[in-house]
Amino acid sequence: MKKETIIAAGFAGLALGGCIQVKAPDKPIEINLNVKVQQEVVVRLQRDAQDLIQNNPELFPQ
Amino acid sequence: MTRTFLTIAIGAAVALATGLVMTAPARAQSGAVAAAMAEGAVGEQADGYLGIAGSVSAAVRSEVESINIKRRAAYTDLAGKRGVTVQDVAAATGCQTLSSRVKAGQVYRIGAGPWQTKGSAPIALPSYCATAG
Repeated sequence: MKKETIIAAGFAGLALGGCIQVKAPDKPIEINLNVKVQQEVVVRLQRDAQDLIQNNPELFPQ
Repeated sequence: MTRTFLTIAIGAAVALATGLVMTAPARAQSGAVAAAMAEGAVGEQADGYLGIAGSVSAAVRSEVESINIKRRAAYTDLAGKRGVTVQDVAAATGCQTLSSRVKAGQVYRIGAGPWQTKGSAPIALPSYCATAG
């Protein structure tokens, strides 16, 4: 009898003392990396372009 | 065996001879293109190709076209290696030619804009040209 009272009180306490709710957001989380990736592509291509010019001087008369 | 070797040898000789015949006039014409560039009749474009800005001889015109075809082949090759479009490679090369190849007094063109003569200041590059590199 005493034991049950304690358990019941425990449950009551749990219910009253704020449960932490973890809820998934409605909208998907978006992390936009497009700008950085695009910039890296351009920078990398600039180096490639430099090499291309240096390796093919006949195609780039001055 | 001997026959195979002979065939290869003949093939190599023909290829070499063709190469020699091809390169000599091409080199001379390439000098003509450089001369046309110095005069402002031919110039670099932001799209990565050479363009004709003034009156040029038929020989210069055909050499410009030939160079552009070879450039396109080189751009296509690089684009395949990097997984980008040919236009991306061409534009990146255009950024480089405009920023570091075009000399003062030579002409250049950005997009469909007019031909401009480079002065002492650096060319104002299109926004897509990265500052680094």
